[in-house]
Amino acid sequence: MIIRSLITALLIAAPAAATDLTVNFTVTDVPTGQIMMNLFDSEAAHDSNTGPVRQAAVPVKDGKAVATFAGLAPGRYAIKAFHDIDGDGQMGMTPFGMPSEPFAFSNNAQPQGGPAPWSASNFTVDGTTTTAITIK
Amino acid sequence: MFDRRELFSRALLAGLGACLPAEALAAGLAAAAQPQWALALGDVEDDISPRPLTRLHGRLPPDLAGTLYRNGPALFRRGGTAVNHWFDGDGLVRAFALRDGRATLQARFVDTAKRRVEAKAGRIVQPGFGTAMRDGAVLGSADDTNAANTHVIAAGGRLLALWEAGSAHAMDPATLATQGPVTFRPDLKGMPFLAHPKVEASGRIWNIGLSGANAFVWRLSADGALEASKLIKLPAASYCHDFTMTQRHLIIVLQPWLHERASMPFASGMVWRPERGTRVLVIDKDDLTRQRLFELPALFFFHLGDGWEDRDGTLHFDGAFDDSPLFATETASALVQGRYPRTERPMLRLISLHANGRAQVRDAGITAEFPRNPAGNVGPRPTFHVGGYRPERPFARSIGRWDWEAGRGAAHDFGAHQIVEEFVPAGPWLIGTSINLAARATELHVLRADRLNDGPLASWRADVALPHSFHGSWVAA
Repeated sequence: MIIRSLITALLIAAPAAATDLTVNFTVTDVPTGQIMMNLFDSEAAHDSNTGPVRQAAVPVKDGKAVATFAGLAPGRYAIKAFHDIDGDGQMGMTPFGMPSEPFAFSNNAQPQGGPAPWSASNFTVDGTTTTAITIK
Repeated sequence: MFDRRELFSRALLAGLGACLPAEALAAGLAAAAQPQWALALGDVEDDISPRPLTRLHGRLPPDLAGTLYRNGPALFRRGGTAVNHWFDGDGLVRAFALRDGRATLQARFVDTAKRRVEAKAGRIVQPGFGTAMRDGAVLGSADDTNAANTHVIAAGGRLLALWEAGSAHAMDPATLATQGPVTFRPDLKGMPFLAHPKVEASGRIWNIGLSGANAFVWRLSADGALEASKLIKLPAASYCHDFTMTQRHLIIVLQPWLHERASMPFASGMVWRPERGTRVLVIDKDDLTRQRLFELPALFFFHLGDGWEDRDGTLHFDGAFDDSPLFATETASALVQGRYPRTERPMLRLISLHANGRAQVRDAGITAEFPRNPAGNVGPRPTFHVGGYRPERPFARSIGRWDWEAGRGAAHDFGAHQIVEEFVPAGPWLIGTSINLAARATELHVLRADRLNDGPLASWRADVALPHSFHGSWVAA
């Protein structure tokens, strides 16, 4: 009886299962370089482009790249990513200050004169989650 | 022109108020009351497969063989929606091939991101020169709105379909298949490339691309490969559709239609400030930092002719000039709806820039647009142009030749039933197209450049009516 109560108490007190996110990138333009991405856990952070909860730089191989994040809290997230073709760790810019390397957002949400809005790109992460982004 | 149709449609609009979406209402009314010239802004629903043209009269000169390529907007409407400006239709590249006495026509739309987004949506959504952004638009870069519809030139074994606010699109000259936007160097992806590059006698290509008061100068080899480039600051954020040059200088005309706000549509961020006059920036090709600035009264232009330099250092160039940007801001929008609210009167003028800093304007006294000059000249040369503008309808009806040294010209009037498009010099000939409003078909004409008064020496007619094209190139076989 005491053991059952103890076990019950332990079960109730146990934290939720750790949440993992795998992001599968399909890269269609150039087979080299790396994908650099920011993972945001709030609309405010996403819109102000500050405080990404995680970041990753993953190599592109055979038109694919994979980023994995372990131990995330369940909730809504959004990704801003770009293809660092020249591998210099930065988004390339033209002489007129426009991006010269391709970029994409979670849910393959479309840019509309600026980054895709949180409302279009946010997705739920809970348990083992996989999401796909195409960069072209 | 305020006729009964206009009165009826105004009353109808007032009565219906907000009952119908404005676009659908406008489209319905437009369909009911289209003037004959609206054929010039009709929609081509699909690529035009290769087909022979019917010879109307005359004979193709035996040593005239090659292809006239032309580009122009050819789709303005999708599913009850429409672009709001002539300049925003999808580019259709046409190939008129002439050989062994026969003429054939083929045409294909440039495969652009804009066209793919709107075909998928079944609606016009992308912003443009005069078209607002709508729900469903995709806007990640300027090339997402690239209509690729203004000019087509040949370089390095391929065609380049040109726009002005984004990349050139490469196409196969035989099949007209699109190869994709051209990136001359990775950090220059999507940089603006005007629709009017200028070609030296050697074949070297100069161009500029603009963003506010910044100009990016492009220098390409005759094969279309990047040789050099430089960012320069302009004294004013003028709208430049075209620029010109002499053997030794680049000439950038800075009209007082100024980019004051980044805005969509593009034209809504522009302001006309005539009190500032039009200035001309002359840049030494060998050292782009060596610049001179000339002042002129306020003039608005789209198109300039090739420049030349006198022995005494005076620079000359001509162009088609107007007194205000109203064609760009009002008329070219109205044309899509079949309306012609004011008469267009572009005038042929010569600008002379003297070594002492003084600038002069000389008026030919004739209406003119789409000026073209024979290639390879370094001195004074004839200007070929369309003309004969009359109040009753838009667009030209004649082809003309003007000689500034002689102070006179020649012309051939095709008649009130013809809309005459740009003619391109091809050796001793001029080749161009017209839209025959009576036959409801596109026609191809060849004239002798030194005998315009004789009219076409040969003409052909297509089995389709293509909308009004802008610019093109003759590629000899």
